[in-house]
Amino acid sequence: MKRIGLVLWVFLLSGLLFAEGGKEKAAAKQKYPEKPIEVTCLFGAGSAADLIARKFSDLASPILGVPLPVVNRTGGGQSVGYTYVKNAKPDGYNVVWTSNGLITAYYQGNIDFKQDAFRSIARISYEPVSFAVKYDAPWKDINEFVDYIKKNPGKVRIGNSGVGTFTHLAAAALEDFAQSQVVHVPFGRGLAFASLLGGQIEASSQLPSEVMAQFEAKQVRIIAVTSKERVKSIPEVPTLMEKKIPIELILWRGLAVPKGTPDDVVAVLEAAAKKVVESEEFKKFCDQMSIIPAFLPAAEMDKFVDADEKFTGALMKKIGASKR
Amino acid sequence: MNMVLGAFAQVLSVKMLLIMILGSFVGIVFGAIPGLTYSMGIILLLPLTFHLPPLMAVTLLLGVYIGGMTGGSVSSILLGIPGTPSAAATCLDGFPLSKRGMAGKALGTALISSIFAGLLSVATLMVVAPIVAKFALKFGPAEIFSLVFFGFSTICGISMGNVLKGLISGFIGLLFTTIGIDPVMGMSRYTFGIGQLISGVDLLAFMIGMFAIPQVIKILSVDESLLTRKISAKVSTQYPSLQELKRMFGLMVKCAFIGIGIGAIPGTGGPIAAFLGYDQAKRKTKNNEPALEGVAGPESANNGVTGGALIPMLTLGIPGDPATAILLGALLIHGLKPGPMLFTQHADFIYGMYAALIVIHLIVLLMQGFGIQLFVKVLNFRKSYLYTTILVLCTIGAFAVNNNEFDIYVMVFAGFLGYFLLKFGFPVAPTVLALVLGPPMEENFRRALILSQGNFWIFLQSPISWFFYLATIFVLVGQVRRSLLAAKVRKGS
Repeated sequence: MKRIGLVLWVFLLSGLLFAEGGKEKAAAKQKYPEKPIEVTCLFGAGSAADLIARKFSDLASPILGVPLPVVNRTGGGQSVGYTYVKNAKPDGYNVVWTSNGLITAYYQGNIDFKQDAFRSIARISYEPVSFAVKYDAPWKDINEFVDYIKKNPGKVRIGNSGVGTFTHLAAAALEDFAQSQVVHVPFGRGLAFASLLGGQIEASSQLPSEVMAQFEAKQVRIIAVTSKERVKSIPEVPTLMEKKIPIELILWRGLAVPKGTPDDVVAVLEAAAKKVVESEEFKKFCDQMSIIPAFLPAAEMDKFVDADEKFTGALMKKIGASKR
Repeated sequence: MNMVLGAFAQVLSVKMLLIMILGSFVGIVFGAIPGLTYSMGIILLLPLTFHLPPLMAVTLLLGVYIGGMTGGSVSSILLGIPGTPSAAATCLDGFPLSKRGMAGKALGTALISSIFAGLLSVATLMVVAPIVAKFALKFGPAEIFSLVFFGFSTICGISMGNVLKGLISGFIGLLFTTIGIDPVMGMSRYTFGIGQLISGVDLLAFMIGMFAIPQVIKILSVDESLLTRKISAKVSTQYPSLQELKRMFGLMVKCAFIGIGIGAIPGTGGPIAAFLGYDQAKRKTKNNEPALEGVAGPESANNGVTGGALIPMLTLGIPGDPATAILLGALLIHGLKPGPMLFTQHADFIYGMYAALIVIHLIVLLMQGFGIQLFVKVLNFRKSYLYTTILVLCTIGAFAVNNNEFDIYVMVFAGFLGYFLLKFGFPVAPTVLALVLGPPMEENFRRALILSQGNFWIFLQSPISWFFYLATIFVLVGQVRRSLLAAKVRKGS
């Protein structure tokens, strides 16, 4: 008798384990979407990418009529998440919250595929990189800072979020412009400014949202951003272009699905994305996070990513960060 | 004074109390079940906070954080499987105590020291946050390296009497941390062409496997008649006496401050603090017998981390550990930018949060205090049921860390590794310690060398580094002396 109880218990538990698998089989082909759409985020919970993805899915869910759970598939220099979605069934129920990271991960050798393994749904937002120095630093603006780099090759230390990341690329592009040498110090995501305040590095190359609080508290000065236009939440900060430094770099974020996903599915998701990005609530959220909402439809997004791949690939090769 | 009263008025509404109770409950449950962590609980509740006002949102998540940090001790003590990495050190003495029928006492000690240290850390946060934050900024890569290096000295204390075997076990752990993309240059190491290995070995999956599977094998491989018998007919639910608590008071204060300090330094966190706390406890009890101190030490250290980690999070916007990283995100979502301005512009929010922290601690104390009577009943389950359930929960937990199937294999592998290590008399705690300390040690070592452009003097430049190196030498000398003494005693007898 006891044995039967044990057997039943084991069955119950294994049922728990395989519950997920069973559900998938039952789904027949019907109108899209009819079950939750999983959004794979490549970074950990609480990161900027994660927060934007969660806000997005929160707003998109009532439009699509199904929940859009955000699942963090981190690690492997983004290879874990991208590989997962690439290999998923192209039925629109697996979406990846993508960014430039796809391109940098490819050139760094973390993944063996590029943007052509996916189909774009839309671009959602972009953000520039910001260069910050301590509030009492001797350089008045970015030009003086570049002059200082020129005069002191190999002395200036700029902190970034990791080798081959977008913030590193921006700093390397500045180094390239100055035709001098800079010491690039890789920190974790958004951690460089602690060392900036501690005086261990001269400048940091970070996303604006990562230094905003210190900027407002007058502990650091942001001396330039890398976008074409000034950022709304920090209107007093000039762009590199304005300062006669021909560098324009933006970190874009968007949605993509595995290649082979049918057109009608992409159209449904694209329309929902458009509605979300244009909503007041999302705009307000973007202001708070110091990111810029910037919708691009699927067709244009594919072209945009292709162009960006050429540009970023060339830049990474130039600065020696490419393994291709 | 008005500010403080106002803050409590803000917090003591029915809605807020419900939020705090919900948060604490989720935290305790996620902390107590092996395989589920409070970080997962926080992630689960994060979307809910989008629709709440800022103070409520943060309070809900803080409840999970504190409840989880406290609840993590439950499965450590009762089952010998840490509910969270921060509770790994609690297993070392807690589990043997519970096997001796002192589960109630151990759980009570864990709860009281957790809450005490948590409240002390909140007090520190309220009074001296800006000063602590300023000091924490002095910890550059070289200084963090020296701190982590010091952390390794605790291997002496967790080696179950055999330091050589402890060191070997520690090195095995270090070897596993080298797998995957290296933290500085992004090179793949020791992946043998297996794509999944490029993200390295997940600490949580590895730890669950290492603690849980050897036990399951051990229990299920014994005589079948044992399986159907209940483990211990009588589980004492006796709480620790006032005298015992008095005896440990000094230790609890000391470990709480260790936790606060470690929590305030970005890039460290709960597990390191807990192992240091355990080391302190062992120094106090001298012999290798499991003692209540061995529970109070790590538990006060890891709860000290909660308030400590909030210091850099609130004053600088730097998260001290994964949980505060998510909290930081929750603040940003509501347009609150952590940093010096938060204290001047949103003082009502800050004070409300302080009040909430205090109330949450009291709620967790009550909830888990009653819970202990229930938790210990777990030991009355038949082992065959209990351990199959644990195995399933661990498998789900390992998967849920990164939603990655591969981590289940990591867990199983770690389990068998742990089984054979234990079989040949190697302690597994040093392996887990090395897995915790390895990555920050390597990262900060290399980052420091990049900063100094290859000059090793950077490691000896600051008094902070010297302090930790000297402390390490102190511990090692003490260990050698103790070993020699023990050898002499053995010879004499």
